[in-house]
Amino acid sequence: MRPALEEIKTLEAFIAGALPEENRQEIEIRLLWDQDLQQKLGLQQIAYRSLREAGRAQLRQELKSIHARLFPA
Amino acid sequence: MQTLTCPVKATNWRQAFINNREKTLTQIYAETYPMVLHYVKQHNGTPEDAQDLLQEAIILFYEKVVLNKLTLTASVSTYLMSICKNKWRQELDKRRRQHQLPNEAAPRWEEPATEPENPTVILLSFVNQLGKKCQDILIAFYYLGEAMPRIAAQHQYRNVHTATVQKFKCLERLRKSLAAFTINDFR
Repeated sequence: MRPALEEIKTLEAFIAGALPEENRQEIEIRLLWDQDLQQKLGLQQIAYRSLREAGRAQLRQELKSIHARLFPA
Repeated sequence: MQTLTCPVKATNWRQAFINNREKTLTQIYAETYPMVLHYVKQHNGTPEDAQDLLQEAIILFYEKVVLNKLTLTASVSTYLMSICKNKWRQELDKRRRQHQLPNEAAPRWEEPATEPENPTVILLSFVNQLGKKCQDILIAFYYLGEAMPRIAAQHQYRNVHTATVQKFKCLERLRKSLAAFTINDFR
């Protein structure tokens, strides 16, 4: 994977609390001065939030179809 | 007749959702909807209210089981009913309060969901811009809890590695497009 994608993967593990202690500290220290990384981290958290909303919308749609099939008006 | 010797564990629900979401949701829905409908009708609600309540409760249950790995000690219908009862009480309180408001300020409660400045709607629009393949992969992995080997097979990727790279490319695209949103949002 190209470095930018590796970084996304690392940030994902960081957000999930799944990074080994050493790597986690490395990210935490970089976040103190690296505004670019701070912004990427923030955006990635918003990205997961947007996927949660989109997932909910899909699940809601599936449940509406199930309702229509089980209990036709 | 089959007897249950132990309570159905949430880990089983998790597997059931991931292996066959449609079938599992249908089974839960068929079992629980009549109970919710009965309760809501007895408490000043309509069948539409019962549908909304149950659907939101099942979404909550799905998230708890699949994303937060909830361990359920009660039966699923008991669990869903208790969520529905709580939410319905809150909804009735809300309606009562709105009823007491002076007429001029009475907002219609379904309105915010369609307002363009609602953050949820804006966030959804960014995901919708991604295109079908990226949307499907990201939602399957990050929300529905499906595993990468299955996602790779469903989308005809050569192997899990290729699919995983694609997943991160999709996430990168989403993150990039969201940059515009947050800059405007905080300006």
